[in-house]
Amino acid sequence: MTAPLLELSDVAKVYSIGGALFGHRLRAVDGISFEVGRDGPEIFAIIGESGSGKTTLARMILNTAQPSAGKILFRGADLAGMRDRLGFMRQVQPIFQNPFEAFNPLKRVDRYLYMTARRFAGAATQAEAGDHADRALRKVGLSLAEIRGRFPHELSGGQLQRVAIARALIASPALIVADEPVSMVDASLRMSIVNLFKTLRDDLGVSIVYITHDLATAYYISDRIVIMRKGRAVEAGPARAILDNPQHPYSIELKNAVLSPDAAARLYGNRPIME
Amino acid sequence: MSEGAAPAPVLTVTALRAYYQTRLFGIDRDVRAVDNVTLHVNANEIYGLAGESSCGKTTLIKTIAGAIRPPLKVQGGSVEFNFHGRRVSLYDKNAPDLADIRWRHLSYIMQGSMSVLNPLRRVRNSFVDFAFRHIHKPMAEFLDTVRAHLLRLHLQPEVLDAYPHELSGGMRQRVAIALATVCRPEFIIADEPTTALDVIVQKGVLTMIREVQREIGSSLIFVTHDMAVHANLCDRLGVMYAGRLVEEGPTAEILREPRHPYTAHLIASLPRIGDVAPKKALEGTPPSLADPPLGCRFHPRCPLAMDICKRENPQMEWVGPVHRVACFAAQPGKRQ
Repeated sequence: MTAPLLELSDVAKVYSIGGALFGHRLRAVDGISFEVGRDGPEIFAIIGESGSGKTTLARMILNTAQPSAGKILFRGADLAGMRDRLGFMRQVQPIFQNPFEAFNPLKRVDRYLYMTARRFAGAATQAEAGDHADRALRKVGLSLAEIRGRFPHELSGGQLQRVAIARALIASPALIVADEPVSMVDASLRMSIVNLFKTLRDDLGVSIVYITHDLATAYYISDRIVIMRKGRAVEAGPARAILDNPQHPYSIELKNAVLSPDAAARLYGNRPIME
Repeated sequence: MSEGAAPAPVLTVTALRAYYQTRLFGIDRDVRAVDNVTLHVNANEIYGLAGESSCGKTTLIKTIAGAIRPPLKVQGGSVEFNFHGRRVSLYDKNAPDLADIRWRHLSYIMQGSMSVLNPLRRVRNSFVDFAFRHIHKPMAEFLDTVRAHLLRLHLQPEVLDAYPHELSGGMRQRVAIALATVCRPEFIIADEPTTALDVIVQKGVLTMIREVQREIGSSLIFVTHDMAVHANLCDRLGVMYAGRLVEEGPTAEILREPRHPYTAHLIASLPRIGDVAPKKALEGTPPSLADPPLGCRFHPRCPLAMDICKRENPQMEWVGPVHRVACFAAQPGKRQ
C-alpha cells in the first residue's frame, strides 16, 4: 500500500505567551498522531471543546502554521520542507466556520471562484474560469447563473457555505480541511452541507478532515474520529464504535452532554426536564 | 382553550404585524418580518420559539421587548403583559415608560454575552448599571443581594471583581443570566443564549436557566433554531416560518407528532447518535420576506402542497386542546 494521504506523527504546537521573564508556554497541541485516507477517501472527524487545539491542528495541516515538534506528511512528503506551495494548495483546500467572514463583503462571490479557477485549475480565459466555476457549483447543488454578480449578503448562510465548498472543489483537491463548517448554519440547512460531504467522499473521492464539536453530525458522516482535550487526543478510532461506547471519562461526559431530541417524546405528559 | 379557570397569561400577543420599511431611491420596500402572529405565554412556563435564521424570530422578540428602531415599524396588533395584575400594553396610546418595566419586570439574555457586559468595567459595575435603580436598597445591601443571588446560581461572588475578558465564554453567559434574573423579573426573553457554546457548557447553561426559572417562577420565551435544545427545555413550542407562526403546541406532542410539514422536516432531519439512516435536507431556500409567495409561504418547498396552498393563506386552527397548526393538509375538512 502506498503512503496515506495525510500522516501526523507526534505533532505538537507550543505558543509562548508574554515576555521571556514572566511569560509562560501554552501547549495548544500536544503529541497528536493520526492518519487520514490510507484505504481510500474517508471523513475523519476531530472533536473537542473550544480551546482544545482543533483549529491550531487544522492550521498546521493547511501548512499555515508550523508544528513545534513532530512531523506532518502529505502523500509521504514532509510539509516542513515543502517547496511547491501552490501545488500543495491545489491538493489541500480549507473551508472555514463562518462563510460571512470568509468572503469579503465588498467583493462579488463569483470573483473568488474565478480567481481560484485561474490560479489552481489553469483557466486562461474568463470563459474557461466561468466553466470551472459552474461545474464546481453544480456539484454542490447551485449554478453560476444563481451566483453571478451577487454579494455575500445577498445569499443565505447555507448557500454561501456551499459556494465556499464549490470554491474549494475547483482546485480538485484530494483533501478538504473543514473547520466547524456547520456551526454557523441553520439546523435545517446543516444536513444539506453534511450530506454534501458524504457525496464528495463517495463520488469525487475527496477525503475530509471534519473539525466540529457536534457529536451528532460527526456520528452521522464520519468514518473515524479523534476526540481532543487540552491539546491531547483522549480517544481515537472508528467513529461509530467510539460514540456508541465511549471509554475515556471525557468522551463519556461529552456524549452525555449531547441533548437528545427524543427527551421530550419519552416524557410525554410531563415537563421535559433537564437534570 | 378554556379561559377563566386558568390564571391569565403573562404575555398575550394578538395579530402582531411588524415590518421593516425602507424607502431607497424612491422604491418602497416592506419586509414583513412578523406577519399576523398571535400567541400567549402562561405564568411559570418556558415557551420555545423555533425557526431558521431570517424567519422573523428575532424581530418578534424585539417587538415583544419594545425595542423598536426604524426601519422596523409595528403595523398593527398588540403586545400585552400582565405583571401580577398590572396590565401593560406596549403599543397603546398610553404606552408606559419602558425604562420602568425593563429589567424589573422584563429582562433578556442575549446571544453574545460579551456585548452585554461592558468590556472596560468590572462585572460588579455592570450589575450596578443594570439593576441598582430597580432594587430600592442602599449600595451595600444591593451588593449583598447580588452576592446572594450569584451564590444561589452556583457562581462565586468573586466574579464581580473580574473583567469580562477574564471569564470564559460559558462563565460570561452565566453571569449574563445572573444579571438578567437578579431583579426577579416576571418575564425573561432568551435569544439563542447557547448557540456559540460547546455541548458541555451548553448543558450547564441550560440547566442553570431551568433552575433559575423555577426558583423565581417567571415565564421565559426561549429562541433557538436547535430543536434538540427545545426538546430538553421548553414546555410549549412555537415554530415560525417566513414571518408567520405555523405550528404551536406542547413540546412533547410536537416532537412526537408534528402536524406541519415544515416542523416534521425540522424534527426528521435531526442527527442522532446511534442513528445512521440517511437524512434528507429540505430543498430550496426560505422565501424573501420582501416578496413572499402567495398563499402558504411554505408551499414552494412543501412535499404536500395542494392547489389551495398556492392561492389561500392557511390560518392557525386548533387540532388538539392546546395544539394549533396553519396547514391545509393538516386541518381536517379542508382537503381538496
